Amino acid sequence: MNSRNEENLKDLFERFVGAEEAEGAVEDFQMAERILREHAAPEPDKELIAAIKSEITEAIRRRKESAFRRIAYKMAPVAAVFIILAAVSVRLFERGGGGPVKVTYASMIPAAIWESDDIAIDDLDLAILTAEIDELESEVVTLELGENGGNGRSAVTELEMELVEINSDFWEG
Amino acid sequence: MAKSDDLAQIINGCKAGSAESFSQLVDMYAGRLFGYFYRLTGNSELSDELLSELFVKLVGKIGSYKGGSFDSWLFKIASNIFNDYLRGKQRRKKLLDVKKRELESKITEPKRSESERIDKLQIQLEKLNADTRELIMLRFYSQLSLKEMAEMRSEPIGTTLSKLHRGLKRLRELME
Repeated sequence: MNSRNEENLKDLFERFVGAEEAEGAVEDFQMAERILREHAAPEPDKELIAAIKSEITEAIRRRKESAFRRIAYKMAPVAAVFIILAAVSVRLFERGGGGPVKVTYASMIPAAIWESDDIAIDDLDLAILTAEIDELESEVVTLELGENGGNGRSAVTELEMELVEINSDFWEG
Repeated sequence: MAKSDDLAQIINGCKAGSAESFSQLVDMYAGRLFGYFYRLTGNSELSDELLSELFVKLVGKIGSYKGGSFDSWLFKIASNIFNDYLRGKQRRKKLLDVKKRELESKITEPKRSESERIDKLQIQLEKLNADTRELIMLRFYSQLSLKEMAEMRSEPIGTTLSKLHRGLKRLRELME
């Protein structure tokens, strides 16, 4: 608009036609533009303007929603990766920071042997224990079958007491 | 008309998605754009539609405005919308050619409302070819300089000047 007001039509025409002709052309311009001003086009209705503004507001809302959805779609895989990494990290941290797990278990071997570093003595003790148990088992079977002259029950009780005693001594080390 | 600083502020608001800024832009340009469409189509309802289409399109396009003459940029969009309408109209014309010929034989002059019928300028404008008519309306309603108009139309300034002069001279003769 400003550039239009600044332009000099006569100078412009004189670049292409003679001065006289340029003057006539400028007059044609001015007359025609006066006619256009005198026959102004109707103005748009106020209702139309209100409707356009409403449509614009709706279009802006749609664009913002669409932009938000696009961002959400782009961010979802990144967020998923972060969540997975975080979960894996937490799990690894829990494993690494907890120290060695203490295993508890039951054992037939007495603690004195288990904790001993002398393997030769420990093996010998185990062999003696096993031999004594085998001997007692065979005596119990003999007594139960009445092979010792009929006094089986008291002999079995005696043997059981002896077995308990051996066992107790052994486990005490 | 707002000063160029105010306009720049309004455009920045529009780019930021402010409905208020768009509202200001509508208030500033709706009159001239409606006049432009009305003088090109001679139809109020159609001008309403084209004006609405222009402003709704502007919501999506405002981000592509990178400076320079905003009026030139805006009227370029208006011109494209009008030409798209013309192309669509031509397609429809081809499809309905037979029916149109039947109707044309019955209609002696374009149908207009009473207020439009008495608009002598509109009647004379329709006697000009479409390109000349658009050039005159662009000059009058966009308020662009001849240099800006030539740039918009991608033609030498001498060509624009010559076409416009011929058109305005013809219009002047028709109106006298």
